[in-house]
This record gives sequence, C-alpha cells and structure tokens, in this order.
Amino acid sequence: MWKKKITFNNSAVINNIWFFTERALIYGLIAIFLFITLFPLLWVFSTSFKPNEEAINFPPKFLPEKITFSNYVFVLTDPNLVRSLINSFVVSVGSTALSVVVSALGGYAFARFEFKGKNLIMSIILGLFMIPVVINIIPLYNMLSNIGMLNSPISLILAFQILIIPLNILLFKNYFETIPKELEEAALIDGCSRLDVLKRITIPLSIPGFAIAAVLSFRFSWNEFILPIVLANRPDSAVFQVALYQFISIYRIQWGYLTAGITLAIIPVLVLMLSFQKQMIKGLTIGAIRE
Amino acid sequence: MFASVEPYLFLTPAFAILLVFLIFPLFWNIYISLHDVSLVTIIKGWRYVGWENFLDLIEDSNFHTSLKVTLLFVAGSVALQFGAGLLISTLLNQKVRASGVLRAVFIIPWTISAVIAAFSFKFILDYNFGILNYLFDKIGLQPVNWLSDPNMVIWSIVIANMWYGTPFTMLFLTAGIFSINPTIYEAAIIDGATKIKSFFYITLPLLKPFIVINLILITMWSVNFFDLQLVMTGGGPLFASTTASLYMYRQAFEFGLLSKGAAAGLILVAINLVVTFNYIKLLRR
Repeated sequence: MWKKKITFNNSAVINNIWFFTERALIYGLIAIFLFITLFPLLWVFSTSFKPNEEAINFPPKFLPEKITFSNYVFVLTDPNLVRSLINSFVVSVGSTALSVVVSALGGYAFARFEFKGKNLIMSIILGLFMIPVVINIIPLYNMLSNIGMLNSPISLILAFQILIIPLNILLFKNYFETIPKELEEAALIDGCSRLDVLKRITIPLSIPGFAIAAVLSFRFSWNEFILPIVLANRPDSAVFQVALYQFISIYRIQWGYLTAGITLAIIPVLVLMLSFQKQMIKGLTIGAIRE
Repeated sequence: MFASVEPYLFLTPAFAILLVFLIFPLFWNIYISLHDVSLVTIIKGWRYVGWENFLDLIEDSNFHTSLKVTLLFVAGSVALQFGAGLLISTLLNQKVRASGVLRAVFIIPWTISAVIAAFSFKFILDYNFGILNYLFDKIGLQPVNWLSDPNMVIWSIVIANMWYGTPFTMLFLTAGIFSINPTIYEAAIIDGATKIKSFFYITLPLLKPFIVINLILITMWSVNFFDLQLVMTGGGPLFASTTASLYMYRQAFEFGLLSKGAAAGLILVAINLVVTFNYIKLLRR
C-alpha cells in the first residue's frame, strides 16, 4: 500500500515539472514570435513622432525624446499624398461595392441553382484564382493604353476585380448555403419573384457574409500596389500606396515623414480587420473546410 | 423556361469582368511576346519577330541570375513561412490563454500592404541608421550591408517576406487544426501518447490536405510576388535581388521592352504550372 502511494507522488512531481517546463517553453516561443511580429511596426510608429533629425540619431532611442506631430502635419498637407488618399478611398470603395454585388450574384447562382456545367464553371473559377495577376500587368497596360484608359479610377476598379471575385464568389456560395432553402421556397410559393426573395429574405439574413466579403475586398483594394503602379502612376491619379512609394523616393532619409505616412496607411485597414477579425477567421475557416 | 437561364444570368457580370481583365490578357500576352513592342513603339505597327524575344531571354545572363535568385527566394520564403506558421498555429492550440487575442495580433502583418512591410524593413535594415546594425554593433558584431551586399540582399528580403507572409499560413493551418476532432487527442492521451508523438502521428497526417494547399499557395505567391523587392531594392544591386517576376516588370517598365517582359511572363506561367502540377501529384499520393 505505502510503496504504491510514494511512487504515485513521485511521478506526480515529475509530471508537474514536465508540465511547467512545457508551459514555459510554449509561452516563451509565443513571446518571441510576438516580439518579432510587433517590433517593426512599433518602431515605425514611435519614429513617426520623432523630429527628422532625432529619427537618425545614434544611438537610437525607442521612445521619442520630445513628441512632435509635425511629421503628420507635413504628410497631411502634401498635396500629392492628400489627393492620393482621396483616390484610394474612391477606388477602394468602388471596387469593394462592385465586387460584392457581382460576387454575391455569382455565389447565389452556385448556392441555389442546379444547372448544366455547374461543377465545370466552379472549377474554372477556382482555377482562375490560381492565375497570378502579375502576369497580366504587361497586356493590361497595353490594352488600356490603346483605348486611352490608363490613369483612370474606373480601370483600376475593374482591374482590381480579378484579385477579388474568385475568392468572394466562393465565400458567398458557402455563406448562402448556410441559409435554409425552405425559407426562400416558401416565399416563392407565396408569389414573390426571385429578386424579391433576394431583397427581402436572403440578403438581410446574410449581412455577416456581406461584411466579411466587403472587408476582404477593401483590404485587397487598399493594399494593392503592382496593378496601380503600372496602370495609374501619374501623380494626380496615383493611389496612396503608389504615392507613398513615390514619396519615399523623394524624401529618401526623412524617416520622420516616411514613418508618419506609413502609420497613416496602416490605420484604415487595421481598424477594419481588427473589428471584424472574429468573423474573418470564421469566414475563412468555412471557406477552407468546405473546399 | 426563364428559370433555366437564370443561374447563367447571375453569373454573367462576374464572368464578363474576368474574361476581359483576366483571361483575354493571358492570350494578349502571347501575342505581345511574338512581336517587337517597346514603350516607344507601342502605338506604331508591331513587327512580328517569332521566337526572337525568347531567344533573347535565353541568352540574357541577367535572366539566368533572376532564375537563380527566384529559386533562393522561393525556397527560403516557403521554408520559413511554413515552418513559423505551423509552429505558431500549433503553439496557439495548446490551451494558451487569450489565444483569440494573440491570433488577432499575429495576423496584423498580413493586414498591411507590402509597400509598408517593405519600407518598414528598409528602415530597420538601413546600413547607417538601421536599428539592426546598431544592435549588431552593441554586441560586438560587424555591421552588415543588408540591402547592398549582392550575396546578402535576397536573404534580407526573404526575412521581410517571412514577416509579411507567415500570418497567412498561420491562419490557414489554424483553420485546419480547428477541423480536427479533439476527441482523437483525448483517445491518444489515454493510449499513452506524448504531445510530440500526437503531433507527428495525428496532427500532421490529418492536416495533410491543408498543408499541401497551403504550400501550393505560398509557393506560387513567392514565385510571383515582387512588391517587396521593388520597394526595398528595386531589384538591385544590379540584378542580385531581381526574381523572375521582377525581371519581367523591370524589362517592361524600367527598360521599356514590353515584348521581352511578356516573354519572361510566359516563362513565369510555365514555372507556375510546373509547381502546381508537382504539388498536385504530391497531394494525390
């Protein structure tokens, strides 16, 4: 009896030691990754409040000696950057709206109808998702310059769709499938038209799905750099990412200005993503699992 | 009668946009690559030159460099992003406190633009004023020419790409881990399996479909992605950080040789096809 109890205690102690080293290891590694993830952004953020001279001071101090907002004032009064912020909002909102409407229609067709070639069309769309968009920059530049549509927000809005539509169609298809078909069928029997059903039943029930698609589309449009730098790089039509790139090449080592510009560019998307992050993970998870 | 065309009507707008902006340009690219087009001659009549642009590429030693650089960049990026992504998603699944908040924080690099990631790293890696060289100096190491040493530069960009791209892998594999039924682990613990053992014998095999799709996606993205290189170094010094995709961009928009760029783009398509094909073969096995 006794002997048995002692061995039990010993192994419990060993188990406990094991448990604590394991926990320490897990939290230690997470802390390291957390530091690597956050450090570059915090460093940029802190530098944006330093005067330009202090930003290149040696040895560098993590916190600004005296906090200044002059970098933000400079960036927000630079006419090119201000215009580009407006351009970015116009293009991103336009491309988000267009892609949500177009992809919701497409996703609805896949979720609710049986039709010839359904599987084939679905695999074509998934296949299109695999086509790297950068391969199209030269022909797109060529096509748009031939019809005089370079440097136009409309071209950008349309071109951005190729980044977003395939993913959004998949998202909407999966989302609509979670809404019971019977609700719609009942309304159809009561004499509603398809569009009425969409307006009154399906869309109100899938607002969260629309939100995920809209946030993702906005993120893609706001952050896209290669398409706009090729298709719209004239100063008056540049979007923010392009203007920031041009700004960087002018103010080479004025780190204060540059880091303030960066901080401003991060804010809209970061706020959006963090406020929707739960739905985002859920949305992506649904997408990934169903695939 | 109307009902039978209805689904096609719903799909028409999406398909029309994809046709004009995604599918047609692919074929137009072939046309450009077979003609002599530069930014100067873009509106004049184009001369048909057959394979000349491709022969040009094959003889261009800068293109050879760019293929080598692509290999290093893709191998480095995929290995680091996948390794770190798998590690973080596994760690966060070990009943960690506030794992939801942590997941949200780890996603942040993925939410910002590549221009910003590139510039932040350019700032940190600056030879004279960068904080990394300052830290190196503090611990008695020589400062490193992160972005202007031809042998170093691509690895500096790989590190930046690891920072920027890892959150996607983390998110994707987390979705995979969530799909595994937790009772399997409970059964394994009862059978006396350690955590490490259950990772190798349960988690990895069940994650395999997610891992393969993830590897396909991040490999293709690394092949085609050049935002970081363009902003951090412009492909330099010389062609030391010019991957094949950036080579295509530089030929077309830096040197104005659209048709040579188009030819490079087609070779890029071929690389993509080979990658996908091999991974799919791997998945089937």
